[in-house]
Amino acid sequence: MNEFALGFSVAALVKGALTTLVVTFGASVVSIVLGLIAGLLRVSPLWPLRWFAVGYIEFFRGTSLLVQVYLLFFVLPIFGVALAPWTVAIFGIGMNVSAYGAELVRAAIQAVDRGQYEASIALNFRRLTMMRRIVLPQAVRIMLPPWGNLLIELFKSTSLIFFITITELTAASKLAADATGNYLLFFAVALFGYYVIARALITPFVRWLERRLSSGFVRQVLS
Amino acid sequence: MNEPRIRFENIAKRYGALTVLDNPDIPCNGKVMNEPIVRFENVTKRYGALTVLNELNLSIARNEKVCIIGPSGSGKTTVLRMLMTLERINGGVIWVDGEPLTHVQKRGQMVLASDRHLRRVRGKIGMVFQHFNLFPHMTALQNCMEAPVSVLGLPKKDAEARAAELLEMVGLSGKKNHFPIQLSGGQKQRVAIARALAMRPKVMLFDEVTSALDPELIGEVLSVIRKLGAEHDLTMLMVTHQMGFAKEFSDRVCFFYDGKIIEQGPPDQLLGNPQNERTRQFLSAVLEANS
Repeated sequence: MNEFALGFSVAALVKGALTTLVVTFGASVVSIVLGLIAGLLRVSPLWPLRWFAVGYIEFFRGTSLLVQVYLLFFVLPIFGVALAPWTVAIFGIGMNVSAYGAELVRAAIQAVDRGQYEASIALNFRRLTMMRRIVLPQAVRIMLPPWGNLLIELFKSTSLIFFITITELTAASKLAADATGNYLLFFAVALFGYYVIARALITPFVRWLERRLSSGFVRQVLS
Repeated sequence: MNEPRIRFENIAKRYGALTVLDNPDIPCNGKVMNEPIVRFENVTKRYGALTVLNELNLSIARNEKVCIIGPSGSGKTTVLRMLMTLERINGGVIWVDGEPLTHVQKRGQMVLASDRHLRRVRGKIGMVFQHFNLFPHMTALQNCMEAPVSVLGLPKKDAEARAAELLEMVGLSGKKNHFPIQLSGGQKQRVAIARALAMRPKVMLFDEVTSALDPELIGEVLSVIRKLGAEHDLTMLMVTHQMGFAKEFSDRVCFFYDGKIIEQGPPDQLLGNPQNERTRQFLSAVLEANS
């Protein structure tokens, strides 16, 4: 193998991995914030808010992520809104994943014991205070494990942003493999790279949150 | 309704953060004290085609201790749940402390109350549940502080002092930093009682509060309730299966059957010498189960 091509490819690979990480981080923040908002609107007592959330969730969950990203990148400029590839990557993936996240938020809120709502009414909480102080702290605990899954999904879906000109980990591996002819090595590295990043960053982060939020729950005793 | 001669309408008085008066509605015609604090007027509750309560009329005097007994499905828990506004009623009016809880009077008409009205009036009522419903992510002390701070707006320090006092009253000052999961059933229920009292209700509702407890833990909860009744000016309405406690504690026992009160009276009379055949059947069945 050509030394020069190898060195060049490794550097590109590292850069690709960093790109993947940055987009993952940005899209995660977007998806968590928007998912929380959409999930809360989804259980709102006011029907216009609820319907808005349903529409948002249906659109972003029901259509293809790649098409959504294309739409933001190639179609919006027709209407005079030209977004940078990075913006499209972070918000496109973030909004798509937030629709799945919103359903996790809704399910978790509805999974909080009914007795907690009744006690909150008996203690005369306002609805928003009840959500903030009583329901959400318990719902967050319930939704953390599925959110962990979702963030790993998000991380892996970042490979699609190659189609809007960003060279991330998968694209960098492909380019390196093409340049050197060593497909086995570079795709093995990519495969392993995804696993290591997910295992070393996302899983421990979610675990850490779970532990932090588990005071007063059985899980504290079991884990 | 004759109009009272003097009327305080929604008067509030605060000293800094401490609310001394929070919108009391006091018609002063000299009859206030004699008026029942809770009154069910032809209250009907239906779930679909099933009528749970049928035109219920029930008045409860200030500081009265009333026990509600009856077979399961007779509507006794529903009475408490409607009073706590956990259930909407389908007919009739519930009055609390001289004003309608479920309705407001508008141009001489009774219309269904807004959430705001419900919130204001139900502040006079506290409830303790069969399954405790403590907030699992908060310690015993935090459970008792949360609502006073975030609902009444009490300063944290004051709320904490009051919560600690209440936990001491229920005999749990040593457990105030424990989470619910670290407490026994009886201890949880005592925290729940302290939590409800922290809101300074005028009426306390107890919904089968000992039914989820192991037999040896029932006594500690009942003795707290006994103490409450003796030391505080509280109206208490209690759904219970503890006939012995009802007999010794209550001023009146109501026997519910099929959505109606079919017999009520002083505990000695109702439990000792019931007049109605259904009451006799129920009591002998309960007695048999306990023997």
